[in-house]
This record gives sequence, structure tokens and C-alpha cells, in this order.
Amino acid sequence: MNENSTHTEKLIQYLDGEIQGEELELLKQNLANDQSLREELENLQLARDAARRYGLKSKINDIHSEMMQELKENKPARARVIKMFIQTGLRVAAVVIVLVGLSALYQYFKTSPEKLFSENYQTYTIHEMRGESANSRLQEKYRMGKMDSVILEFNSLSVPKPEEYILAGIAFLENNQPEKAIKTLQELIQKNIDSKTDYFEDDAEYYLAMSYLKNREPEKALPILEKIQADPRHPYNSKLSKWFILKVKSLH
Amino acid sequence: MNMAGFLIYLDTASIKRLTPVTKLLSTLTNYRNLMGARKDFTDQSLIHSLRSEANPDEAIRYLYRTQFRLTAAYIKQNSGTEEDAEDIFQELVLMFIEILRKDKFRGESSVSTFLYALTRNIWLNELNRRGKSKRRDEIFEKAKDESDLDVSHLIADRETKLQLMKVVDKLGEPCKKILLAFYFENQAIKEILETLNYENEQVVRNKKYKCLKQLEQMMMAEPDLVKNLKSARYE
Repeated sequence: MNENSTHTEKLIQYLDGEIQGEELELLKQNLANDQSLREELENLQLARDAARRYGLKSKINDIHSEMMQELKENKPARARVIKMFIQTGLRVAAVVIVLVGLSALYQYFKTSPEKLFSENYQTYTIHEMRGESANSRLQEKYRMGKMDSVILEFNSLSVPKPEEYILAGIAFLENNQPEKAIKTLQELIQKNIDSKTDYFEDDAEYYLAMSYLKNREPEKALPILEKIQADPRHPYNSKLSKWFILKVKSLH
Repeated sequence: MNMAGFLIYLDTASIKRLTPVTKLLSTLTNYRNLMGARKDFTDQSLIHSLRSEANPDEAIRYLYRTQFRLTAAYIKQNSGTEEDAEDIFQELVLMFIEILRKDKFRGESSVSTFLYALTRNIWLNELNRRGKSKRRDEIFEKAKDESDLDVSHLIADRETKLQLMKVVDKLGEPCKKILLAFYFENQAIKEILETLNYENEQVVRNKKYKCLKQLEQMMMAEPDLVKNLKSARYE
């Protein structure tokens, strides 16, 4: 090993903190007196610092590869979480749709004329006719909710008024006598045909259809109900939904 | 049941009661891990960890989790590619750690703001290197309005450092390994002897000496580089 390389070795040992005692003092003196030695030490320090920087760069590079992997995996992971929520949402929605569908089918197949009657039956309010004299006894009984008395009154009348047919029909219906209700309401309709009038025609139609339902004759109720539903000006039109008509059809 | 038995029973019962809570916490932790938030740092603890030569790894990972996408978005919005973003971010982390270790971060802004300013300056510098001066000027004008945090002086020696790393890169693998093990990982000669499979400690010492000398000579072959490095040391 020549003198230069000996110097270099000592400088590196100095740089690494491996020189102590007298040897260290001697080197410090040489450094103070020798410009070229100081320059070499500085150059070696630069090389050492470069190695350190390179080490840190390599470490960051290693972590970089690892983190790029993690960040790329996290991207789909987020997407997976979102996808999972969407899929769960869709599944819930599908289940709800299926349940609603099943419920509709259940309703469709399990319905009965009596049930449809109860679902749709509208109570009747006596029409206040302008200029008309006091209400008849039959009307009074109807107002009081005495359906038996309404029927008795109706049977005692020789020429009932059109509305009295309606009230009697309803009384029969509410007394669970749909056949008599049908007969009474048909009478009014026939009278209107005969006399070319249409007194309480709309009410007669609606309650006749309801009477047929009550009497388990949905096939006879259906054409009347469809007629009402097809006529937007019919006073009972808004009471009949398409779903209701569909359910009546299902009873065929 | 004696007192000790009762305490054991009580303890077991408490654990059983806590199980759902523990499960919930575990689920949340897993979710946080999934979302990439493994360990949180305050600016202060982050700076402390990055300054530490012992183990800054987790702090570096934290920088990636919290800053990489911001940096990548900035680079990509300003004519860069994903690859550019990755390169610039590695350089950003290296530069930030060096700035911290040289006590050049004065804490006048948050770490995030500082890194953003540093990113901008590095990217402007990179565009300049690539000869895209028009694009650089546009970004520079825009950037002036965004922040008055001037960090340009901190990247003044960027070119020199990039050149320096290219020189070290030319060093042979065995030399890189031994120099990094000794000067970067602070391994003792004995440890290096075991990990790098040398015959004895003297062989390790000789190899280290030769490698450092070789690196010094490779650097001396680039006089401008050495001159710039020396002037940067005294700034």
C-alpha cells in the first residue's frame, strides 16, 4: 500500500469515527497543515453523503413499489365496497319487488266477491232536492239507519219514488239480501228505460254492481263496473280503480 | 367461589361483554386498513419520524397514503403522466426528508401545503429541464396566485442531485451494497460480513475502502458536479 492509499485509508477511518487518541490528534494536525489532505477528506465526505442519499433513495423506491401496489389494490377495494353496497341495494330492491309481486298475485288469486264488495262499497247519502217538500218516511228511516223499517216502508208504497228504490236496494244489501237488492234496483233501471228517464240511474248502476258482487255474481257486476270506469263523468268513476276491475275479472 | 375465582369470573364476563365492541372495532380497523389509513400522524410526529434515521418507513408510507394522489392529480393536470407523478413523488419524498434532516423546514406552513409547494416547484423545474418552457410559464403564472410559499431555493440543487444519483447508480452492485449497508443502514462490519458473505472483517474493510474511493473518483470525474456539491455544502 503506497503513501497516498495509506492517507486515504486513515481519512476514511477518521470519517467513520474509528480513529482515537494520539492517532486522531496527529491526523487533525496533518489536516490543518495539508490542503490536499483536506480536499481529499472533503471529497470522501461527498462520496459518503452520496452513498447515504442513494440509500435513502433506494429505500423510498422499495416503499414506492409496495405503496403503489397498495394504492392500486385500494382503488378496486373502494370500488368493491361501492359495488357491494350497490349490489346489496339491488338485491334488497329485487326482494322488495318480488315480495310486492307475490303480494299482488296473492291478492289477485285470493280475492273473493264479498271481499271486493267490502273493499269498494260506498255509503249513500240522501240527495237534497231543491224545492222538494219534507222527506218521506222511508227517507227518514234511512237517515236513522233503520234498514228493516226502510224495507217495510218500501213494501208499503204503491208507487215509490226513484230515490226510494235506491234506498230500498241499499237496505236490502245491508240486510244481507242481495237478491232483493238486485231486483229492486233493476226495477228502477227498467222504469227509467220504459219512461225514457234516467232518475238516479248512476246510483242504481253502482249499487246493482255491488249487489251482484255481494250475491257472488262477479260476471254480472263486471260489465256495469267497466261501463262506470269507462265514463269519466260517472259520479262513481273515481271510486273504481283499474286494480279493482282487474280483481273482479280474476273472479271469473 | 373465592375472591380470586370471582375476579377471574368477572374478568371473563367483561371480556364476553366486550366481544361485540371488539368485533366492531376490529371491523372498523379492517375497513380503515382497506381504505388505506393504517397509522395516523400529526405534522409534528410525521416530521419527527422522517427526521429519524432509525425507521422512517411508516412515515413514508403515510406520505404515500395521504399525499400521492394529490401530487399525481396536480402532475396530471399539468401535462404530466402517471409515470411522471410516480417519479416526482419519489423525488419529493426524498427531498422533503433531506430538508427536514438539514433543519430547513421552518414550519411556516402545514406539511401538506409545504409538499404542495415543493411539488409545484419540482414539476416546474422538470418541465424546464424537458424544454417545455411555455407550459412551465403558464403553470408558474397560475401558481403565483395560489400560494406565496416560496420553496424554490430548496430545489435549486435538484439538477446536481439528479446527476449525483446517476453517478452512484454506475457503481457496481457489490460496492453499492457494502456502502449502503455501512453508511446508510449503519451496519457494523461484523454484520456486513454475515449478510454479504465476505471471508473476514478485514476483507469487508478493504472492500468498503475501495468502493468509497471508487465512488469518490467517479465523482471527481465530473468536476462541475463536485463544484456544485461543494458550493451547496456551504450554503
